[in-house]
Amino acid sequence: MRARLFRLTSHVSRLTFCRPTSHVSRLTAFAVIRFDRVSKRYPSGHEALSELNFELGRGEMAFVTGHSGAGKSTLLKLIALVERPSRGQVLVDDQNLANTRRRGIAALRRRIGMVFQDHRLLLDRSVFDNVALPLIIAGVARDEIGKRVRAALDKVGLLGREADAPVALSTGEQQRVGIARAIVAKPPVLIADEPTGNLDPQLSAEVMALFGEFQQVGTTVLIASHDLSLIKRMGKRVLVLDHGRLIDDFRPASS
Amino acid sequence: MNRRKPQNRPKASSPSKAVKRDARAPRLGMRAWREQHLYSLFSSLGRIAARPWTTLLTLLVMALALAMPLLLFLLLDNARQLGGDMQQAGAISVFMKPGESAEGLVLRARAMPSVAAVVLKTPADGLEELRGQPGFADAMKLLHDNPLPAVLVVTPRNASGSEGAMALVSELQASPGVDMVQYDYLWRERLDAILAAATRAASVLAGLLALAALLVVGNTVRLDILGRSDEIGVMQLLGASSGFVRRPFLYTGLWYGGFSALIALLVVLLVEFTLLTPLTNLVSSYDHRFALQALGWLPAIIALGGGALLGWLGAWLAASRHLAAGVPR
Repeated sequence: MRARLFRLTSHVSRLTFCRPTSHVSRLTAFAVIRFDRVSKRYPSGHEALSELNFELGRGEMAFVTGHSGAGKSTLLKLIALVERPSRGQVLVDDQNLANTRRRGIAALRRRIGMVFQDHRLLLDRSVFDNVALPLIIAGVARDEIGKRVRAALDKVGLLGREADAPVALSTGEQQRVGIARAIVAKPPVLIADEPTGNLDPQLSAEVMALFGEFQQVGTTVLIASHDLSLIKRMGKRVLVLDHGRLIDDFRPASS
Repeated sequence: MNRRKPQNRPKASSPSKAVKRDARAPRLGMRAWREQHLYSLFSSLGRIAARPWTTLLTLLVMALALAMPLLLFLLLDNARQLGGDMQQAGAISVFMKPGESAEGLVLRARAMPSVAAVVLKTPADGLEELRGQPGFADAMKLLHDNPLPAVLVVTPRNASGSEGAMALVSELQASPGVDMVQYDYLWRERLDAILAAATRAASVLAGLLALAALLVVGNTVRLDILGRSDEIGVMQLLGASSGFVRRPFLYTGLWYGGFSALIALLVVLLVEFTLLTPLTNLVSSYDHRFALQALGWLPAIIALGGGALLGWLGAWLAASRHLAAGVPR
């Protein structure tokens, strides 16, 4: 009964406050990512996502899977405001993305670490400069940047390679630099689009284990992947998309 | 109700919460602002240095566009000085017919209410004056008798160019024995009108050339932006504000403008230097009544600042047009 009441009040507060203040968010802050009847139709007429509902809590790790074209990438793009939903609401870290404009979009992205299949490193800069970029963008002091970049590189096992150019690194190492860049600013949310798409099974397992570590320190992690065997081995929550619809939300018993 | 109940949320509450609030704050602190500007300043210099030929070409085109108006203004400045002093131009020179005595007219002119002073230069005075001029002494020796007329230099009481002064000019002209009346003010006025027109033309030209410089910078920055569209895309995904992405390009424009203004000043200096010797010879033949004017410090500084401003503006126009992409509305 008490639990039901609580859920009701939190629901009401969500409805009343479009952008909840930190007080209210403490009541409702179980969801770091929340999709509320979200649909996305591209101008071409293709319906990438329809009526999507799900929540991801703080420190929760989940996979999004499905055949190619099922809407995995679109889902991640909506979180980072690369695209806007056609209908429905997306809330990320207490922020209603429907009300987020220009400056707010940049601020939102600073709180989301993004990992891409093709790593998207800047090839004309060193590994160090690539990883430092989010901190420079956030305006972190220079000596502090040095410390945090080395800590992030240490975490992905590339501490000795900071002066190298990205092209001098193997594919797996490049992907790890991409991950270091995504987590260096300690974002509350980490999203990854096919981060192991170009890696062999062993490197893939290593990279996934790395994501698991970030979950341990309270980061919400959402990974789009079609590597089912790897997903199965991780034993995390799995959202299954099919033609833009959520057809399964599998939660392992342990988590 | 216990609103502050922390629940069993994992870690993430204090330190990373603080970081998060920082990141959400739309404006960064002073230190961060300075840090980012320094970063943009140096990264833009690196960008310029990375493409030396493009940079050089852009700089030269801009520099010539800026040097032309500077040279024009310098020319006009000197021409104005050549025109002489306005005060001198107020006197009326009355040339008597050859052989006519001027004494009568001097007395009559002194009696006129509109005359302040009259100075008589006899033909002998005139000859003496000419002998004093460089190059004329030898020519004077060839003369058997003095061909010069007597001249009255009349200073009007009324202001130069006023109705009273003009009436005096016609009155003197009508006096018997007068051959010609020369009122410097009239040609001086004409010269001023010519100079004013030329200055206006130079201003229009300067405006057009400034526009050309603006477009040159804008186009260079536009190409730079297109060449870096991948990088810009990544920066925007990492949460760079449009200001952050735009800033290095603005500094690039600033450098382009400043450096090309500097080159333009060097061009002006070079032109001054090239013309110095022939002009000094010319000037010395004019009995040093005129000194060549170099471009002053103030115009030079204004040109530098103006060039930098033009570069910044051109870059801003190009960047604002092209960086709007990549952000959903």
